[in-house]
Amino acid sequence: MQLPPFDYAVPRNLAEAVDRLAASAGNAAALAGGTDLLVNLKYRLVAPAALVAIRGLPELRGVRDGAGGGLDIGAGELLADLLEHPRIAALGGLHAAIRAVGSQHIRNLGTLGGNLCLPTRCWYTNQSEAWRTARTPCWKTEGLVCHVIPSSTTCRALNSADTAPMLVALGASLVLRGPRGERALPLADFYQDDGVNQHTLQPGELIVRVLVPAVAGRSAFRKLAARTGLDYGYASVAGVAIGPARRPRELRVVAGSVASRPVRLRHAEALVLERGLTPETIEAAAEATRADLGEVTNLFSPPGYKKRVVRGLVAKLLADLATTKERAA
Amino acid sequence: MTHRQFITLTVNGDRREVVVTPEMLLLDVLRDGFGLTGTKRGCTSGACGVCTVQGDDGRAVLSCLSLAIQWDGRSVTTIEGVAGPEGLHPVQQAFLEFGAVQCGYCTPGLVMTVKALLDRTPAADAAAIDEALAGAICRCTGHIKVKEAARQAVLRLQAAAQEQAHGPAQG
Repeated sequence: MQLPPFDYAVPRNLAEAVDRLAASAGNAAALAGGTDLLVNLKYRLVAPAALVAIRGLPELRGVRDGAGGGLDIGAGELLADLLEHPRIAALGGLHAAIRAVGSQHIRNLGTLGGNLCLPTRCWYTNQSEAWRTARTPCWKTEGLVCHVIPSSTTCRALNSADTAPMLVALGASLVLRGPRGERALPLADFYQDDGVNQHTLQPGELIVRVLVPAVAGRSAFRKLAARTGLDYGYASVAGVAIGPARRPRELRVVAGSVASRPVRLRHAEALVLERGLTPETIEAAAEATRADLGEVTNLFSPPGYKKRVVRGLVAKLLADLATTKERAA
Repeated sequence: MTHRQFITLTVNGDRREVVVTPEMLLLDVLRDGFGLTGTKRGCTSGACGVCTVQGDDGRAVLSCLSLAIQWDGRSVTTIEGVAGPEGLHPVQQAFLEFGAVQCGYCTPGLVMTVKALLDRTPAADAAAIDEALAGAICRCTGHIKVKEAARQAVLRLQAAAQEQAHGPAQG
């Protein structure tokens, strides 16, 4: 597959990049690693007139100590470089989530900000133009139908960014820069349950930094995919526990690849916070995820199967959290 | 309307100015511009790894997901640049000895993947080899012989490094 024609701009700094994107009125796309964008261009899923190269912009680089002992990660950092950073290696869950993205080849090109912006996916839309045009357009491609869930009146494509549920569980926030300046936004509020408009980036806005607060606790991540390497997950789960290993005071468990945004599994959390992390409560909490997931759509795998996958992953994740020695910092 | 422009690209030490348009892939420039057809075109969506080359940071890079224009002023190594004047690279030699080749189409990508891994991690263990090879796929014959060859290349490279440090082994 060949790429369609486009203009290519190399801004010298973040301000120029934001200006260029804003001036295009939605007709330019930011190019970081390109591992997803270039595929979507080849598939003719997006057709920007110009690409604005943001890889290497100094404002998007570096891993620094953040406020209060946290981490301040440049959104343009390569996923492969982050895996080699000692402070990220010390955050077991985040390290595992980054490592779950694509293959090593993909992580050698892809960036953290790019993964967080990964468009939602489904088995109808994320195909070549020839495949798609064999049927009428869908909600995502400006039609009025869903070929995946025929009864759906909206697009319910999946958010499959592996780092998203983990960073939501860690309570991360984003520093965004747009034409109207800089703003901070909790990552949980960055996403919304809408397959077409899955995030709240304003036109011309870019993720500049990802801020991970210091967490005096343990983190873990689990994913099930058809293959360990490369594939998007049937589901993934991320967790952070603070307090005694068997009696956490705080717990956040977040699932990925189950909706158009990462989903907090609050029933499971509440059950563990009430009764502690024992083999029996782990089983009960895993079962309780059914209530959190609500209606799971039949994307890539049947809904019943997906719920069983989440159940199994949560049981393993909670056992990880109960036994790991890690002190996330 | 897209614009033609010159970029400077060094491939296997050969520095050239080439004309590109923004939508040209690194893969296209290597194959059609430099005539280096060892780098293959496969899925063109980052899933198969046959287009793998080695970037100037030593990492394995997918040339089907890189715009040529992004490589202006930089250098890459392709399969044609792996063997030295003294003969095959230890990774190539190991692939040959272990029969880690069937139809051969994926072989350049697999060799570049293993070479990039061992350049950065000379003592790569079996798990690291598995992880690297997850992004480069052989459709004919599977990965067992490829992994055996990669482990053999690790041993060869370690022996060579030891010899360099301590002189040839005695007895």
